[in-house]
Amino acid sequence: MSVAWQFYISTVLVYLGVDVMACWGLNLQFGVAGLVNFAFIIFQAAGAYTAAVLTLGPATKGGFQQYVGGAHWPFPLPILAAGVVGGLLAVLVGSFAIRRLRRDYEAMVMLVVSLIATSIATNQVGLVNGPNGLALVPKPLATTVNLSPIGYQWLFVGITAVICLCVYWLVHIVTSSPLGRTLRAVRDNEQAAAALGKNVTGLRMLAFVLGGVIAGVSGAILVEFISAWSPGSWLYPETFVYFTAVIVGGSGNNLGVMVGALLVPVAFLEATRFVPQFGPPGFIDALQWIIVGVLALVFLWFWPRGVIPERRRRFSPAAEREAEQPLTSTRAGR
Amino acid sequence: MVSTLVPAIGFGIVTASILAVAGVGFTLQFGVTNILNLAYGDIMTAAAFVAYLVTSAGFSVWLALVAGAAFGSVFSVLLNRFVYTPFVRRGTRLFGMIIVTIAVSLILQNSLLAIFGASFFSLQMSRPASVHIGGMVFTTVQLAIIGIAVVAMLGIHLLLRYTKLGKAMRATATDPDLARNCGIATDRVIDLAWAISGALCGLAGVILVMNVTSFTDTTGAQFLIPIIAVAVLGGIGQPYGAMLAALVIGIASELAAAIFSPDYKDVVAFVILVVVLIARPQGILSEVATRKEVAA
Amino acid sequence: MSGGADTLLTVADLHRQFGGVHAVNGASFEVPPGRITGLIGPNGAGKSTVLNVIAGALKPTAGKISYRGQDITGLPAYKVARRGITRTFQISSEFAALTVLENLLVAAPSQRGEALWQAALGKRYWRPDEREMVGRARQLLARFEMSAKEDEYAGNLSGGQKRLLELMRGLMAAPALLLLDEPMAGVNPSLARRIEQHLLDLRGEGLTMLMIEHELAVVERLCDPVIVMAQGRVISQGTMAEVRADREVLDAYLIG
Repeated sequence: MSVAWQFYISTVLVYLGVDVMACWGLNLQFGVAGLVNFAFIIFQAAGAYTAAVLTLGPATKGGFQQYVGGAHWPFPLPILAAGVVGGLLAVLVGSFAIRRLRRDYEAMVMLVVSLIATSIATNQVGLVNGPNGLALVPKPLATTVNLSPIGYQWLFVGITAVICLCVYWLVHIVTSSPLGRTLRAVRDNEQAAAALGKNVTGLRMLAFVLGGVIAGVSGAILVEFISAWSPGSWLYPETFVYFTAVIVGGSGNNLGVMVGALLVPVAFLEATRFVPQFGPPGFIDALQWIIVGVLALVFLWFWPRGVIPERRRRFSPAAEREAEQPLTSTRAGR
Repeated sequence: MVSTLVPAIGFGIVTASILAVAGVGFTLQFGVTNILNLAYGDIMTAAAFVAYLVTSAGFSVWLALVAGAAFGSVFSVLLNRFVYTPFVRRGTRLFGMIIVTIAVSLILQNSLLAIFGASFFSLQMSRPASVHIGGMVFTTVQLAIIGIAVVAMLGIHLLLRYTKLGKAMRATATDPDLARNCGIATDRVIDLAWAISGALCGLAGVILVMNVTSFTDTTGAQFLIPIIAVAVLGGIGQPYGAMLAALVIGIASELAAAIFSPDYKDVVAFVILVVVLIARPQGILSEVATRKEVAA
Repeated sequence: MSGGADTLLTVADLHRQFGGVHAVNGASFEVPPGRITGLIGPNGAGKSTVLNVIAGALKPTAGKISYRGQDITGLPAYKVARRGITRTFQISSEFAALTVLENLLVAAPSQRGEALWQAALGKRYWRPDEREMVGRARQLLARFEMSAKEDEYAGNLSGGQKRLLELMRGLMAAPALLLLDEPMAGVNPSLARRIEQHLLDLRGEGLTMLMIEHELAVVERLCDPVIVMAQGRVISQGTMAEVRADREVLDAYLIG
């Protein structure tokens, strides 16, 4: 296989890894816990920014990039820090956005938060270097490992795959456990869940924060790969692409959203690379967005549960012993 | 300082006029149907493009206003009939609907981009004269905008107070099931609510671009959050509240732009929206915050 | 009736307003243990509001609620539930995208694997506990003759089956006090009779219940004592016979 093809495929694989992780995070928030987090992209952006400045080092006075924070941390610390920042940002946003509001107001609050964040990031030049963003972020391990450019690409693919596995472990233990079941119950009927003793706000916050951590990590990987970060890449329509991926793939099912991530952000958007240029500049991009919107509507109409829907959990008949507990409680303290 | 503040108030009044028309349209529709239509801003943009086509063809801007309003009205009714209502009837819950409206918004916005391209547009109008009132400077266009807004608000007031439709809309906004049981033809009321709010939406889109040097495919969408802020601050389904809120937000935004920086114009509306939703969602939105599903 | 060991729940001078409307206007009553207490009254008397306040779904504007001697006024719903008070809803509130069995498992109190660190410890940690809960749930399903529907999505059940699920889910939580909001509303008569029998059996096992009910014949068969509310206040309490004879009650609404 030619080097050029290898470059292309390894790049696509990294993007796929990033998108799959992001979709798992969003799925935890939206598919499992029912949080319509339209600010998802800013958690990715915050994680990416954190990783970027922690690799780039502090801003030099009078340098061409002015931004807040900075250090020269070795890999993988910037990525871990990105996860932490994503989680902390979720705590902050969640503290005022996760309330007993009707779901569409909640979604709207999240959307507004992401618009405010974008606006501030773009306008306050000292904060994150304004609309130009950051560039020349050093690639992780580039100096310690002596590889050819194509070798390095594959190394990065490997790093991405390992981190993907870690993220999968996290979302899997949550969704397949009683915790996941409780989150889905909260998603289906908050009032009933509260009447059964579930701390609804706390649980939603948990899902929100975990999703934020994952989003941060996925952003970090992306920025370490492409070495640049700008506010313009993290606009709210990007969140919509992830939502479409989750819906198409199968909201609530980790395998499903993996397929969704493959189909929507990767396959579909990459496919346009091979389509010959026609129409005025920007025409194909606009067409892409139209198709994404139509895709979302079509799937919501015909297959709202996605390509691989949430699995029905069955319990094996032979596994239990007869329980001796009476139906009414005689336990002390209840 | 004062010398910048007073003209800012003047700008604020113009912005408030546009916000009032848009906000009343939004709140009427939201109040009656309970659907948070995030495509509203893009319908405004589309109406602006219709007006652009009309003025480019050499017709007067007044005709463009009518065309824009008519477009907004028809488009909104069709959008509800063929997209929103079917999804609701299919059982889509509230948070599914928000994805539907965002999808529509993306499709509409990008269709405009695809059709018209990514450049800047403006309405062909005769050069306006300046008028000085108090310490404020207005162009004749801006005075026209204020006048149009006042007329529209008056029209809405008359509609709501004195017509059967207006009363029916108020009843449906308060309690759709009860309204239906009282024999109000809720489906027709809902159609008309979309038609009227759509007309206001289209009108707002045209006067919005009358007030700027140029517009693009995202101009209307950028206005959406201030519009929702106006609707929420004034109370969902309360058109008079929306009018007042429009004044508050319009003037506050321009003052913030004058005092801090023009980039922060939108942030004022954003922050007001978030604060109101969080601090007093029950107080201001008591009827609506408890309504869990949509009327369609 | 005096307080202390004779009462499980005491409601004292409860008030709840909505804007200008006094839905509950000074209601006081006691719920004794081991019996089914009926809560009756004409429409708009405030019965559902009282139930919602006790359950923590609404906060009272004034008044006090004590449960087992402890003040639980104003506690949020999930904390009230954790103390042993479970409620059912008048409108079906099943977890529609979960199976019937899962609906019951969610209700099991203090399950292993519900906290994040417990989930992280993996299946070997929480599976045995879950198996026990599955066993209990299956017992319940058998008792209510819904075993065949174990793997059915709760959203696909019929109206009557959803009512039964509502009841089973409440029981799965192993409550000490069960608040029932019109448990037989909209249910066909034969199923209603079966639910009645279940409630009597549960009473026989020692479960305390507070039940809002409209059909007075049912109240007569199941409830003792009976609390009558009208216009936000308690206007009478006692056995059904005593309450029937009460002048005020007759005035409030005609008893057949």
